[in-house]
Amino acid sequence: MLLTLIRRELLDNLMTFRFAAAVFITLLLVVANTVVLLKDYEQRLTAYNTATQESYQRLREEKTYSYYIGKLVAHRPPNPLSIFNLGLDKQVGNKINVYHGFVPTIWDAEKHRSDNPFLNLFTSIDIALVFQGILSLLALIFAYDALAGERERGTLRLVLTHPIRRGYILFAKYISAMLCLLVPLLISLLLSIVLLTTSTTIFLSTNDFLRLGGIVLTSLLYVSLFYLIGMWISAMTRRTSTALMLCMFVWGFLVLVYPNLILTAVEITPQPDTQASAYNQIKQMWEEFDRENKQLLRNDPVLGPLSRDGEGWGFYVEGGEYTFGMSEDKPSILLYFFQTGFYAGKIGAESEPQVPRLQNYYRFYNRETVNTVQRTWLVREPALEAIYIHPANLGRTLLKFSPAGLYDAATEAWAGTNLEDIQDFFNAVQRYRRAVLDYFDDEKIFESRQWFAADHGTADWDALPQFSFQRSGVDVNAKRALPDLFLLLMTNLILFTVIFLIFVRSEV
Amino acid sequence: MVWHITKREIYDNLNSLRFALTTVLLLALMVTNAVRHLREHPKRVQRYQDAVTESLNRLTAHADENLYKLAQYGPGNFYKKPSPLHFCANGGEPLLPDMVEVEEPNVFATDSEDNILLQGVWSLSYPDANLQNKSVGPDVSQVDWIFIIGYVLSLLALLFTFDTFSGERERGTLRLMLANSVPRHTVLIGKFLGGLLSISIPFTLAVLVNLLLISTSSDVHLTTEAWGRLGIIFCLALLYTSLFLALGLLVSTRVQRSAVSLMLLLLTWVTFVVFMPSTLASIASSFSPTKSFDEFWKQRNPVQEDLWDKYREWLWSDELDDETLRGKSDFYTEHVERSERWREGQLKYRSSQMHRARAITSISPATLLQHLIESFAGTGFERHLQFVGNTQHYARQLREFIVDTDRGDPESLHIINVREGMSQKPVSPAAVPKFEDTFDLNEDFNTRAMELLLLTLFVVVLLAGAYLAFVRVEV
Repeated sequence: MLLTLIRRELLDNLMTFRFAAAVFITLLLVVANTVVLLKDYEQRLTAYNTATQESYQRLREEKTYSYYIGKLVAHRPPNPLSIFNLGLDKQVGNKINVYHGFVPTIWDAEKHRSDNPFLNLFTSIDIALVFQGILSLLALIFAYDALAGERERGTLRLVLTHPIRRGYILFAKYISAMLCLLVPLLISLLLSIVLLTTSTTIFLSTNDFLRLGGIVLTSLLYVSLFYLIGMWISAMTRRTSTALMLCMFVWGFLVLVYPNLILTAVEITPQPDTQASAYNQIKQMWEEFDRENKQLLRNDPVLGPLSRDGEGWGFYVEGGEYTFGMSEDKPSILLYFFQTGFYAGKIGAESEPQVPRLQNYYRFYNRETVNTVQRTWLVREPALEAIYIHPANLGRTLLKFSPAGLYDAATEAWAGTNLEDIQDFFNAVQRYRRAVLDYFDDEKIFESRQWFAADHGTADWDALPQFSFQRSGVDVNAKRALPDLFLLLMTNLILFTVIFLIFVRSEV
Repeated sequence: MVWHITKREIYDNLNSLRFALTTVLLLALMVTNAVRHLREHPKRVQRYQDAVTESLNRLTAHADENLYKLAQYGPGNFYKKPSPLHFCANGGEPLLPDMVEVEEPNVFATDSEDNILLQGVWSLSYPDANLQNKSVGPDVSQVDWIFIIGYVLSLLALLFTFDTFSGERERGTLRLMLANSVPRHTVLIGKFLGGLLSISIPFTLAVLVNLLLISTSSDVHLTTEAWGRLGIIFCLALLYTSLFLALGLLVSTRVQRSAVSLMLLLLTWVTFVVFMPSTLASIASSFSPTKSFDEFWKQRNPVQEDLWDKYREWLWSDELDDETLRGKSDFYTEHVERSERWREGQLKYRSSQMHRARAITSISPATLLQHLIESFAGTGFERHLQFVGNTQHYARQLREFIVDTDRGDPESLHIINVREGMSQKPVSPAAVPKFEDTFDLNEDFNTRAMELLLLTLFVVVLLAGAYLAFVRVEV
């Protein structure tokens, strides 16, 4: 009996104009956007490759270790699944210096030069956004007359004269509509994957296909949720046109208005005084370090005169070519540090006796720098968390009150472009910085002659640990997507129960 | 007769559920918009004023020292004046730079004691975008009038008209009405006006509440001119709404069932309003050959290198005679000119690419509306270019002023941009021209007129289509 019902409903749905229109529109939008997104991805990949190569070469041009800032760079590769949900992949910087003077975070990262930054003014659309807008609309269009239409035509009464459970009717309608909605979803996704495989730059691994499976599952739950919303409205109203209009209002509100409205209405910026106080604390630590350092230099009978009487801007030695001061001062991201040093091509014989003292000084100076960074990090990390991460998470949570927000969050998690996945990369960079510092410690590089002079052997960059980053596995993606998926599922179940109750008790 | 039909239509709508929902939705959006503006705008103005004061202080400090210092370091950075109508169109605010930088003079050569031997003069440079935006939050657009009118109001217009004819046909009242001796075009016009008026009522109400909130606050001042522009924007909104009403009427006459009519309309709407602008923009921008940053960067070096060859004999000389100083002066001036030309070339290339993309996206009425509102509100891309133009104009003005002032000093050798060749007297800061960022509506009216015409054309074509379709339709 159930099968007969499903078959009837399926034929009813498949032979309609709306089904054809649905498939056509979805295909059109998905294909057009895939082409555009693919091109964009390729551009970002090229930028990543050139930048990686360039920093590899630039590092090897340096002869002394102390000049490694700006040359030892970790690059974040673009995520191939960002085609499906862009998330933060493009918004966050993808080039970060690895240096002992600061702990690298998302906010210290810079972006690869984009060809025309003005073009960012056009909002970028990913496939999840197309699905989010179109599939929900289609689901409502399929659902609005599911019950109201039959009631209007009088066929509902006819069907219920047969000994069929009302639950069966609901279930049959639900299943057949979902099957119909699955068609545009799967075909368009298939087409976009075919387009992806024609590109030579994109390689999808087995894991990526599993992630895509996750996206399909999420899309299915999302579509089903909107179908149930439509059915609910359909069960409550007498006339189809009222049902349709209400559906459209609900769609407009949930998908279009709510996400923009809520983030405009709720002010989610943190108190500015947390930022100011944390910044001042960090600055004080550095200034204290600077005072001690200068004190030490001034009191030293040998190094004092060499360093412009304890000014600390590198040293004047025979054969010294440059002195440098390296500093960053960005209150908005609580970044503050300064480093000094110098470069000598060939140290003259006169200055040779001072070299061990210089080496000794740099051992102290660099170790103290690392310690100061560690101390400031204890202040900086929670402050950054409070200034940037908490508001962002609050915003995301507010968005989740709409199914569109839930869907976006879940697909972002599957694609690996959400905040946590981006943070994974920066955690990897932090670990890499740690590894580099350990290597410097082990090989006594901070106190080596090659730190500042290029005469007795130059820096050996190939021995440095290499940076590598692996995107988190599918299990991690799944774990991150699961809460939202679960919420979608629960809402589905609750709605179905509500519809069932309404339908069972309604007079036909 | 037209008025009769219109009145009936309005009464019909006033009692409906959609009218109530529309009113609530529009009011909520407009109130949010106003509250947000009241909260943000004073901060924006404050930031702008602080920045401008700082620039002015720099200018004053340089002028107080001497004319050469002013010629060398120039004014401080230039900042874009925030528009009081920012709530109408935020114009992609964090993605557009809000300043034009004045670059510090280049140091070309120093001696071993770090004393400067050769130092050029200031130049204009155009930063890429506002780099202060470090947010990792969700990326959603703000609720401004463009969003409310472009997206929400157009959707509502469709919801008001989708069943105009198909609904009457379904109920059988269309046949009844046409049985009277009413010309069909009268019916159509009546229906159109009825739809327009009944959607204008909640919209006007929401706009009034919005403006009431904004204008009663003491933090935000709207000038008469701003009110005039608001009036134009309101008219634009009505024109844009008419477009969708006409589209709704057209589809509604051709389609038998109102549900099918709404579905067709919605799919058209989603395609043209939501997805078309960005997809088309991306496609359009990929048509034009992309010139990457590296290519621009490579162009820079040959531009500068032959300058060194050209002026070699004077650059390394310590002589203070006229010819050497003139050589140095020409080198500095030409260097600045070339690097400014190079930067401007890059900016021009990028903006021409952007213009092409904008022209192609004009197929979508939502984009047309966005461009129009942005230009009347004084935000967005075109306004940015105008601001850049203002700074360039001012830069020329300041350079001319320096030459003129130098001419007034009899002790000076009148060799500009070289310390030894210029007046060493302080300049009265009051006499130095100040940068004033102005917003001029008349400038570049051509594109705007084109866009306005295009929007009107859309409305006329759709209305004509609806008329033809309705006249020929069998009831």
